Amino acid sequence: MYHTGLFINGNSTIHRLDPRVKLAAAVILSVMILGVKAPTVILLGLALLGAVLAGRISFRIIGQAVKPLLFFAGLIFFTHAFFSEGEALALITLPYLKISVSRTGIAEGGLVVFRFLCLTVAAVVLTMTTTPARTIAAIKFFLRPLKTLRVPVDDIAVMMMVAMRLMPVLLMEKDRIETAQKARGYDLRGSTTAVRLKAFISLIKTVLLGVFRRADELAAAMEARSYNRGERTTFIELKMRSIDYITLAILFITGGIMTGLNTHF
Amino acid sequence: MIVIKNVFYQYEPEGVQALQGISLNIKNGEHVAVIGPNGCGKTTLIRHLNALLIPSGGNVCIDGLDTKDSQNHSRIRPLVGMVFQNPDHQIVGMTVEEDCAFGPENLRLKPADIRARVAEALVRVGIADLAPRNIESLSGGEKRLAAIAGVLAMRPRYIALDEPTAFLDPISIKRVMDLLEKLHGEGVGIIHITHNMAEAAGTNRIVVMNEGRLYLDGAPREIFGQIDKLQAIGMHLPKMTELMMKLKAAGLPVRTDIVNMEEAVDEVKKLLKK
Repeated sequence: MYHTGLFINGNSTIHRLDPRVKLAAAVILSVMILGVKAPTVILLGLALLGAVLAGRISFRIIGQAVKPLLFFAGLIFFTHAFFSEGEALALITLPYLKISVSRTGIAEGGLVVFRFLCLTVAAVVLTMTTTPARTIAAIKFFLRPLKTLRVPVDDIAVMMMVAMRLMPVLLMEKDRIETAQKARGYDLRGSTTAVRLKAFISLIKTVLLGVFRRADELAAAMEARSYNRGERTTFIELKMRSIDYITLAILFITGGIMTGLNTHF
Repeated sequence: MIVIKNVFYQYEPEGVQALQGISLNIKNGEHVAVIGPNGCGKTTLIRHLNALLIPSGGNVCIDGLDTKDSQNHSRIRPLVGMVFQNPDHQIVGMTVEEDCAFGPENLRLKPADIRARVAEALVRVGIADLAPRNIESLSGGEKRLAAIAGVLAMRPRYIALDEPTAFLDPISIKRVMDLLEKLHGEGVGIIHITHNMAEAAGTNRIVVMNEGRLYLDGAPREIFGQIDKLQAIGMHLPKMTELMMKLKAAGLPVRTDIVNMEEAVDEVKKLLKK
């Protein structure tokens, strides 16, 4: 089963790009997705679609990654649709609250949701085509200047690695406990919200206990393999190849063009 | 050589003594099985071997390095590889090769050296083809092998394994056991906890523990000859030994100091020729 943030093995051009380039691209894209006006965002969306195709990522998996966020997307959309000022559509007016859907609200809501989904897809493309170790190596590269300020960059990198490792573990632990509960006849269908909430809290408690125990073991196992805080080396050597420079050039040129276009809209 | 001298260990200041005066020497290249009932201190004992636990009393010395001296830890840990009972609790990396690189990275080796060690370890374990795979996509047996590869990448002189075949299917068990046999052949000392008597019978030496103490210590044939003592602490015999004893009880003139299938087959052949 796919969990958001999981790397999927592959050999596409995007998979082979230097992780620093991909990280830079993801950051630049994210800033632009949030910052530019409506028509340019559509262009960015198309660019992302290109990246998805180039990374040979299946739309089904993108769908799986986006699905848990649909609730929030819906919430954002309706908030905008109902609470934006503008020309009211007579069709839907909530009678007692005296609020109605506005045309500008729908447009704005749609745009915000589109930006939101684009951000998610950008993150999915990055994490699915880059192994966590390479992503971390890239982050370590960008954080390196902070070493002079005595920021423990190596420790931060290991913390990220362990966090990434524990994320799917956490989700699996939750699935496992839920299945175990169901197997013993624990079924929440048709029960009240209060009961569900109580069940959720007890589930979280069990999951956290399990994860703490596991983190403890993992710490021992890391120690057993000579882990010590501080400096460590990495087997990942980051090398920029021509394709990376080309990608960077494309990134900056299209970024520049889009920013330029943006001022005209 | 691993020298364990009169070791005591207590998890909590007022708690029970998990180890109560254990003394044991393990020579280079020996293959030792540690058996005993649940809670007898097997895991506690092997966690002393690479200074994860430090004795409350007594000493553990690995090739002359005392684990009580924390200065020695950085040298002891690469010497004794530790394979935990559950590979999921041990694997740090997201992919097989990333995890395999974790140890050498901690040793601050150069990238090229790390890659060489990772490649070597994966080939030794026979999972070179799994290198780029995500850990979560592996089967239980493959995860176990990946965990062993992660330890081998440190090029240890000894490997301590906590029930390396637990929860595995028969094919995976065979893969793990063949691997241990191969590593033993390459001169790596192996200390392995097991509940499977047939596995224990395949080693050079069996150490039986009970209630934090050394109960029996000897070659498999010697150990499984002491049926009464084993049964007194609830231990079983290997199936083959049990079979020969039943044949003997049924009046057939067979030897009962037999611990594996090959010996049993020879014995039955002899009987049929008579």
